[in-house]
Amino acid sequence: MNLVRSELLKIRTTSTWWLLGIGAFLATALAFAINAWLAHQVLSGNAEDFGVSGEQASAAGQAANLYTSGQYLGLLFVMLIGILMVTNEFFHQTATTTFLTTPRRTSVILSKLGAASLLGFGFWLATTVIDLVAGTIFLTVDGHGTQLSEWPVHRALLLNLLAYAIWTILGVGIGTLIPNQLGAVITAAVLYLVGTQVVQLLFFLLSNWLDSQAVVKWQVVWPAVASQVMISGSSTELTPDWWVGALVLVGYALVSGVFGVLITRRRDIS
Amino acid sequence: MSDGQRSPSAGTGQIVVSGLTKQYKNVRAVDDLSFTVEPGRVTGFLGPNGAGKTTTLRMLLNLVTPTAGTATIGGRRYADLTDPLRSVGAVLEASSAHKGRTGRNHLRVICAAAGLPASRADEALALVGLTPAANRKFKGYSLGMKQRLGIAAAMLGDPQVLILDEPANGLDPEGIRWMRGFLKGFATEGRTVLVSSHLLSEMQLLADDVVIIAAGKLVRQGPVEQVIGSMAHGVRVRVRTPQAAELTAALREQAATVDTDGHGALLVSGMDAPTVGRTALAAKVELHELTTERPDLEGVFLELTAGKAEIR
Repeated sequence: MNLVRSELLKIRTTSTWWLLGIGAFLATALAFAINAWLAHQVLSGNAEDFGVSGEQASAAGQAANLYTSGQYLGLLFVMLIGILMVTNEFFHQTATTTFLTTPRRTSVILSKLGAASLLGFGFWLATTVIDLVAGTIFLTVDGHGTQLSEWPVHRALLLNLLAYAIWTILGVGIGTLIPNQLGAVITAAVLYLVGTQVVQLLFFLLSNWLDSQAVVKWQVVWPAVASQVMISGSSTELTPDWWVGALVLVGYALVSGVFGVLITRRRDIS
Repeated sequence: MSDGQRSPSAGTGQIVVSGLTKQYKNVRAVDDLSFTVEPGRVTGFLGPNGAGKTTTLRMLLNLVTPTAGTATIGGRRYADLTDPLRSVGAVLEASSAHKGRTGRNHLRVICAAAGLPASRADEALALVGLTPAANRKFKGYSLGMKQRLGIAAAMLGDPQVLILDEPANGLDPEGIRWMRGFLKGFATEGRTVLVSSHLLSEMQLLADDVVIIAAGKLVRQGPVEQVIGSMAHGVRVRVRTPQAAELTAALREQAATVDTDGHGALLVSGMDAPTVGRTALAAKVELHELTTERPDLEGVFLELTAGKAEIR
């Protein structure tokens, strides 16, 4: 517990967290404005113009989207915090002090995972409170009711929380695997942002080539796609069930965490 | 380890390095190194650049894994210490704090991880005279302030053993004097100080014992006077004269050994300065210099490590 406290103190005593916090807040505000405009359009009968159909076109579906505004960049920011928690130790050469204070390196990484999860939870809580306050006001004023008793809304909020927790932990894992600050940040950004479109294209080409529609569902092995599948909470003919995405993400977090611990235990700190 | 099987050094701050070896891809940085460091004394750890001093200290502190051998502090490996900061304080490099964090917060982070009260941070800052800069960010610290912060961090747990790697780097003369007094006082309390350095004159003032290594191997270990006294020549007399040949002959007649230093002076051993002067007077030889030279740590060190300091 002392170690988790120490890790949280490390974050609190530098400017990283509030810079990323401001980033997450701006991203949330911007995303909320766009989502609110979209919800208004969809729910006033223009759903088809925006390619929105099925559950997504319902008031509950739009409410769920609105209440998770800012998620896309928010997840990136919490992953970055997870990465920086580890790579900062090497970038600022504090790893020496950290491992002198606690020679049990597994405990150090586990405490970073613990602190990262708490931080991910904090970011989720803050953005969700903002979204809920602004969202209920907007939906009520726009005449659709708050939708707060609808299951799709609850599901979206909970899956959003799961996503925040997993991506933060994944960030710590990536940091331990790639201690070079710039290298880790670029790798993570590629995995999360650039990857999605490229992967979708690759899997469409692959499915055409194999003449098999089922192959497309396998794009879930890519972390960013897995995340989207999980968050969506429902399956389409192109994507598997949400829990498949969740399993894939948890798998990545576990594997990177375990390998990160093993590598960190053996690493010479000089 | 049960109490019945404890090694003799358990509970004290004795450091025992035994057969320690580190093999990197192409270089054997440390090669079957063994030495002991006793409590109550300041031990200087000396060696040319690249001799393996830092690697040895890092192996002692569980930061680098040895290829072979062991290193223990008070009979236990660093990794096995239950409360490492309360047993051992280490100052390894000056630039080891987050640049955007204040000195006080740097220490508080360590206190939190070690289960020490946060008030220890302020006490340690006061101990090293850094209180006025406590709330300044690390990137604004001078090299000397960084060294002091490193020592403050090492003192947080009020340890039995202090291990320092080149602590005098970046300190001004006043800072070096402060450090000397600090370390001597620490050892006087019966605690252990192991300090690496390449500043030999400083070491001669500071250290009680020395461990000299070169090319990863032990060259000499022992009390400073003993190591200096063990060298082939003892006290020598340096003489300058325009009549070197006459004086050399006169001195050799009196059974003195005479060498040249290669720069026009004679080095006389086996005879003290007054006798050299008297001999010169009797031989009517003019003298321009007559100096007694006592061997110092620097001379001994250079002699012991000669030819072993090449880049490996």
